[in-house]
Amino acid sequence: MPITTQRLMKACLAAGAATLVLGSAAFAGKKDDTIRFAYEQVPESVDPYFNNVRIGVIMGQLGWDTLIHRDPVTNEYRGQLAKSWKWVDDKTLDFDLREGIKFHNGEEFDADDVVYTFNFVGKPENKVVTQTNVNWIESAEKLGKFQVRVKLKRPFPAAIEYLAGPVIIHPNEYYAKVGPKGMNEKPVGTGPYKIVEHVIGKSIKLAANPDYPAALGKNIPKIKNLEIRFLPDRQTQTAEVMAENLDFIMGVAVDQALGMKAVPHLQVVEGETMRIVFLNFNLQDGSPTPALKDIRVRKAIAHAIPKAAMVKQLVGDKARMINVICFPTQFGCDDTGAPRYAYDPTKARELMKEAGFGGDKKLELDIYAYRERDQTEAMIGALRSIGVTANLKFMQYAAMREQIRTNKVPISHQTWGSFSVNDVSASTPNYFKFHADDMARDPEVRDLLEKGDSSVDPAVRKEAYKKALTMIQEKALAVPLYSLTTHYVANGALKFATYPDEIPRFWEMSWK
Amino acid sequence: MSSPTSVAARPPGTGILGKILGHRGLTLGLALLGIIVAMAVFAPLLAPFDPYDQDLARRLIPPFWSAKANPAHLLGTDNLGRDYLSRLIYGARISLLIGFAVMLISGVIGTAMGLLAGYFGGRIDLFITFLITTRLAIPVVLVALAVVAMIGGSLLIVILVLGLLKWDRIAVVMRAATQQVRGLDYVAAAEAAGASMPRIILKEVLPNVFPQLVVVATVEAASAILLEAALSFLGLGVQPPLPSWGLMISEAKTMMFFAFWMIAIPGSMLAMLVFAINLVGDGLRDIIVPKGRG
Amino acid sequence: MLGYCLKRLGTAFLVALFVSVLSFVLLRMTGDVAIALAGEGAQEADIALIRKLNGLDRPLVVQYLDWLGRAITGDFGNSLYFKSPVMGLIVDKIGTTIILSLASLAFALIVGIPLGVLSAVHQGSWVDRLSLGIAVVGQAMPNFFFALVLVMLFSVQLRWLPVSGSGTWAHFVLPTLALGYYITPPFMRIVRAGMVDALEMDFVRTARAKGLSKAKVVLKHALANALVPVVALAGVQLGLLLGGSVIIESIFALDGLGYLAYQSITHKDFPVTQAILLMLSIAYVLLTLAADLINAWIDPRIRIQ
Repeated sequence: MPITTQRLMKACLAAGAATLVLGSAAFAGKKDDTIRFAYEQVPESVDPYFNNVRIGVIMGQLGWDTLIHRDPVTNEYRGQLAKSWKWVDDKTLDFDLREGIKFHNGEEFDADDVVYTFNFVGKPENKVVTQTNVNWIESAEKLGKFQVRVKLKRPFPAAIEYLAGPVIIHPNEYYAKVGPKGMNEKPVGTGPYKIVEHVIGKSIKLAANPDYPAALGKNIPKIKNLEIRFLPDRQTQTAEVMAENLDFIMGVAVDQALGMKAVPHLQVVEGETMRIVFLNFNLQDGSPTPALKDIRVRKAIAHAIPKAAMVKQLVGDKARMINVICFPTQFGCDDTGAPRYAYDPTKARELMKEAGFGGDKKLELDIYAYRERDQTEAMIGALRSIGVTANLKFMQYAAMREQIRTNKVPISHQTWGSFSVNDVSASTPNYFKFHADDMARDPEVRDLLEKGDSSVDPAVRKEAYKKALTMIQEKALAVPLYSLTTHYVANGALKFATYPDEIPRFWEMSWK
Repeated sequence: MSSPTSVAARPPGTGILGKILGHRGLTLGLALLGIIVAMAVFAPLLAPFDPYDQDLARRLIPPFWSAKANPAHLLGTDNLGRDYLSRLIYGARISLLIGFAVMLISGVIGTAMGLLAGYFGGRIDLFITFLITTRLAIPVVLVALAVVAMIGGSLLIVILVLGLLKWDRIAVVMRAATQQVRGLDYVAAAEAAGASMPRIILKEVLPNVFPQLVVVATVEAASAILLEAALSFLGLGVQPPLPSWGLMISEAKTMMFFAFWMIAIPGSMLAMLVFAINLVGDGLRDIIVPKGRG
Repeated sequence: MLGYCLKRLGTAFLVALFVSVLSFVLLRMTGDVAIALAGEGAQEADIALIRKLNGLDRPLVVQYLDWLGRAITGDFGNSLYFKSPVMGLIVDKIGTTIILSLASLAFALIVGIPLGVLSAVHQGSWVDRLSLGIAVVGQAMPNFFFALVLVMLFSVQLRWLPVSGSGTWAHFVLPTLALGYYITPPFMRIVRAGMVDALEMDFVRTARAKGLSKAKVVLKHALANALVPVVALAGVQLGLLLGGSVIIESIFALDGLGYLAYQSITHKDFPVTQAILLMLSIAYVLLTLAADLINAWIDPRIRIQ
């Protein structure tokens, strides 16, 4: 026994010493000019059209460009790969493209790339994962070497926002040859970073694109290398960043972030996100909890949630209280007409009593959730104090949606990031326009939203959205809560800014 | 296999109680288990707070040994401001319930299979042995994870999934034990006397293999408790706000580098429970299973 | 021997077939893969399209037979999530898991056998009691808890070993410890029991009487005897390790089969989960078969006679 212990100790010490030698290169990102970034979800593919996780959106911005660029601070639209654009009619967009831009493999950027990309992703049989990003595209045609016309399937004013977000441009010759599979293995774009190596499911190595033109609204990265690792476990990420093996992680929970504030070599920055949190009620026939059809019950629940305390204790300082179901900066997100339901447990209990509950008759229901379990738990605790017993059903997002579709969900704790699209058409309609996740199914709300979605007149859109949002609150179809924040934990030497679209601009970052 | 302490300490000729008391491991195991069972039974009397009562303003209070402790919350509070000691006490109920319920389900399945295979032999034995081999070949953790991930976790689901998966060892032991008992004289005598087959199995065979069932089922209960903790650790076990120890570790794991006590306390309780059950299992084996058959 | 071999192989085949049916039905019964594939915000039409494009609208039996037919030739289809062939993914990851499993088994043997021998030779001594104590306590500690403690101590506090990844051998030290310690007690116990029995046996006593040194007797005769059941146990444990490394691999972000399995489960990537389940089951059956055959071959009692 003592011999074994000694041997073991020696082995451990030897291993430790070896790592110190081997590992010296692994420490300190500044020394070898590399940002080491870890993300929890593995993208199904690095081709931005073939994944539905946030890291995919981030990769799209790092390795590729879009026709239009939205300034993340002013929210102004400018040309990126396009010099300019104009609406020919409400279903036709014309673009003048920039000249002299090259893809990472040397291929020249011109109208063919745009036409090929649009026609490829617009076809449903090519199985782009997030169809809402592209299902408005009818077709694209070449008007000249640097002129393109894009036809829309329906009037869709938010197209500009999508063109400045998820709709990135692929090189036509390369993409035609290798397809999405080859694009995943060896990605090629025009973006500020070249993708050097992609080990599927494990890591991506990127290097600065030295030829990146300044006119595109992004810049040649100041820090030469970027390494992305996929670490699904939150504690592993925390441990790695504390052991100085990582320079940047995001989406850190508030308590962990506070804990890491005490670590000298780390900096903790809270950033706003566009992801909103709300409770959604099921008002359909055959709902498992018909009691929710009573507006008093819905209002009671709205009054029972301690929004402010939850934001303060569980979310973060930069969270915004929301009063309607959309993110405040989104076009059309106007909460001025909507009634508000302040935290008031006494009133909530009264409303429950009016609705016939109290004493022996208690309301028991299921609440479905798929992320921020602690927040759901806090709401369950709050509902308990007004005599509502809520059982948590926590599951994968896909499983929850399946339950919603089969009408088994009375209340869902929803969150929605709008794919960082800064327009109400990307948020509210998803839950109130009779789509799969709409459990309220209110025809009046649907018609108002439809009007807002399809008009090209900004004033008409604003008016319609405002009415719809107000009506949702008047009928208490959902309980708007707050927007989430995200905490970034980074190497103390890294200089960076955060943006509500949760896309870290690695190309802007530098060492202090 | 007997533990060395028991061999030395067992006085010959005393009754079962004497045997138990003479076996140090078993005594310790029973004492620890007794404490945890008492915690579970008397939880409402012992717990200073309602384990579900949250107070967001009083969250993450450290336990008594810290300078920032609050005397009202001996073991501090969790991330929603719930009293940790109270949750720990109520958590004993969940772990014991899971251990016991899984043991019951897998015990019934495993015993039925083992008895049938051992008693009848032949094709029935072949078929059941095949089922056991198949079951052994299936990775339990993966299947449990996959099923719970898809239909959503809950106390009932976890108990059912583990109960339906963990009968294999019980079936193996029961089969072997039944085979031995089958050949004994009184079974033959009962058969000759014209006793019905179910009667023979239930009245003659089962009581004779029961001691071994108790031993193997104890071990399985401990392993079920650990498996539940593992599933809960991955977020696929029982659902909050139920105060399960596995879940408490899972909820606190993101805080482990800053508030280690939050995983250390439920982790130690879990280890203590499993330790106690294993001691009892080992002790029972020493006492009631004839040497060489363990 | 040959007949026994063939019979066991036949059983292995039947078991694999049965497992394939079970896993296929089980995984399909528990959820709609098309919704998982479609992602956040997908509409009814998108889901229907995805269902059709992936052949998920066909009867279950047809889907199963189609899958089985191709699985036999090593084609498990494409991963629904990663879009690349399942076989390629598995081949990429299996090496890591095999290294981890073998290292953990080696750890268990290196620690468990000497402890078992010492305990048996010095029955009732402090060594015996201590190792028994370690065994009982060790088996009571949840392995994910132990793994977290190891990370906390060796990676974050002391910074001796890396936290995660699988780049160098140093990356395997902590996972090996975390996985290996849990299977050490069974080896220790079985060696101890075997040694205790062997030391009582006639041939060992005879050897002692002939004047051979105690150490020599213990190591040569008794241990050889005690190691027989270790082979069978090693086979079983290796099979269990291959399937049981899910949690440890995900904690240490070791890019192995267990981690892939966990990812496939969370992504509802049926083809990958199914393939891994099937392969692990076959591996288990083959390993136990191999252990039995080796046992029949090396049984020292046969050789001594």
